[in-house]
Amino acid sequence: MSKQGPNPAYAVEVRGLTREYTTRSFFGSVSKVTKALDGVDFAVKRGELFGLIGPNGAGKTTTIKILTTLLTQTQGDAFILGLDVRKELYEIRRRIGIVFGGERGLYNRVSAIDNLKYFSDLYGVDPAVARERIPQLLKVVGLEDRAEEKVEKYSRGMKQRLHIAKALVHDPELLFLDEPTIGLDPGGARDIRGMIREMKSQGKTILLTTHYMFEAEELCERVGVISKGKIVALDTPSALKGSVKDISVVELRTYGATQEYVEELKRLPDVVRVVADLDSEMQLIRVQTPQGANLLPQMAAKLPNGARIIDRTIKEPTLEDAYLRLVEE
Amino acid sequence: MSKFSGLATGKRVDGYVSRRAQVLKAVMKLQARLFFADPQWVIPNIIAPFIFTLVAFFLFGGQATSSSFLLYLVLGAGLMGMWGTTIYGSGFSISFDRFNGTLESTLAAPIPLSWIVIGRIVFNTLQGLLNAVLILVIGLTWFQVGFGLVNPPLFFLAAVCTFISLAAFGLVLSAVVVLSRKGGFITNAMEIPVYVATGTMFPISILPWLALPFAYFLAPTWGIEAIRLSAIQGYVGIGTGYWTDLGVLALETAGYLGIAFLLYKKVEAYAKRNGTLEEY
Repeated sequence: MSKQGPNPAYAVEVRGLTREYTTRSFFGSVSKVTKALDGVDFAVKRGELFGLIGPNGAGKTTTIKILTTLLTQTQGDAFILGLDVRKELYEIRRRIGIVFGGERGLYNRVSAIDNLKYFSDLYGVDPAVARERIPQLLKVVGLEDRAEEKVEKYSRGMKQRLHIAKALVHDPELLFLDEPTIGLDPGGARDIRGMIREMKSQGKTILLTTHYMFEAEELCERVGVISKGKIVALDTPSALKGSVKDISVVELRTYGATQEYVEELKRLPDVVRVVADLDSEMQLIRVQTPQGANLLPQMAAKLPNGARIIDRTIKEPTLEDAYLRLVEE
Repeated sequence: MSKFSGLATGKRVDGYVSRRAQVLKAVMKLQARLFFADPQWVIPNIIAPFIFTLVAFFLFGGQATSSSFLLYLVLGAGLMGMWGTTIYGSGFSISFDRFNGTLESTLAAPIPLSWIVIGRIVFNTLQGLLNAVLILVIGLTWFQVGFGLVNPPLFFLAAVCTFISLAAFGLVLSAVVVLSRKGGFITNAMEIPVYVATGTMFPISILPWLALPFAYFLAPTWGIEAIRLSAIQGYVGIGTGYWTDLGVLALETAGYLGIAFLLYKKVEAYAKRNGTLEEY
């Protein structure tokens, strides 16, 4: 039976993608095989903003690396804009843009304009087009006044805006954004999310990975949840939230709550999950339960001596609640 | 209207030669900017050549009975300077991206990695040439070395061929560094033995016979021979003659380029198969 070719409606098409990492001993024999991806299937429509979410080590970065031709799969097929990632890598690279999260990917000792000129040449942009496009891009990302400054003097948010300009310098059809708001302050992250929306409105296809559920919920048309190398759910954010509509979330702000209290809450009847942030002076505890507010008296009764509830709210489940259920199942 | 609408777009550079020329130019320009942006490069490029020349003159200069011997020393010190810069730059050509966090961006570019590395190595070797010129200038001015070349065109030809052979050798070393994390150790370990084995400071005929195959395998051995034959009156050297030296130099350079081509094919496949190139 011949293999099925790519579907032209999709910008990204992944079928049975598997990737194993082999660790070898000093003498070359295989000592360990780790399956980072295990038969991943999904497709991203042209012009769609698609999110890939999952915990650390779930396989997000491995998937992105294969799709951006930086890594080969062990099994399965992946097509980018109808091109096979194993065979047509240079054509794929010309037509995609990549934004890496964190501090990676820029030459810090030269200016923003030098970085963009360099990458435009690597991507084969005609120098006359680059001369016009680079100042335009710097203006769009709000760096035109500091374009001649060395990147090492930039704030984290400015660097990330430069990353966006760099990814767009060759006018790609498809963008891979690998945790583009990681480590940014709320204002910087909001700017980047605004730019992602603008790029989407220009008809670009975008594949976004993120740790932030609200970001995926706010930006993405569809979301794939990846856990232990498998896609465990794929749908619109609202449909994914629908998978946890049987529960409510009781959100407590407490003073003096301890880990023992959190463990007590987990043992209460009908408590599905407890997520707690105990690091600050005031603690935030989220309890998923089908009982909603009815469980509050029992929760209050378990408080240790001296601790008190400062605020309580009953909320609809979010994408994060759905995500937690999916990745823990 | 979106902020991203109305950005300039247009044709791309598509020709095989023009595309590679664009990449080489861009890489060399970036290397030059990074070079001037980082004061640490003054050590291998300005201070080191000065030290090499001083060491050479204090070691041998006092025994010099003729200006041709001083020229012998200056040319050898110049080649040492070129070699030092080449080996340093080759070993660091990819490690630099690892340290800087730009390796993924470099690997993701739509051009074979070897062309990016070639651009870097040509720039490094040009730096080495500058280094050698600086040594010559120090020798000529401070130590009053006479620079009456026997045959200037042949000297120029030998210098250009040596330059190309060093770049080709640098390309091989850079691939070794990419393929093995121990590669940096290999290039560092090769710096001083090559000074000894290629006869930069004394004739290789005084080396133990076991070292000779290594000396003959290295293109700089033949390069410095051809340079000295075309520069120093009455120089005999190994005794093979200028054109034989240049022929062996060309053959070895072609060999280095062939090895580098095969290694870089392996590098690209290795990088994609293992995905560990960013680790160091």
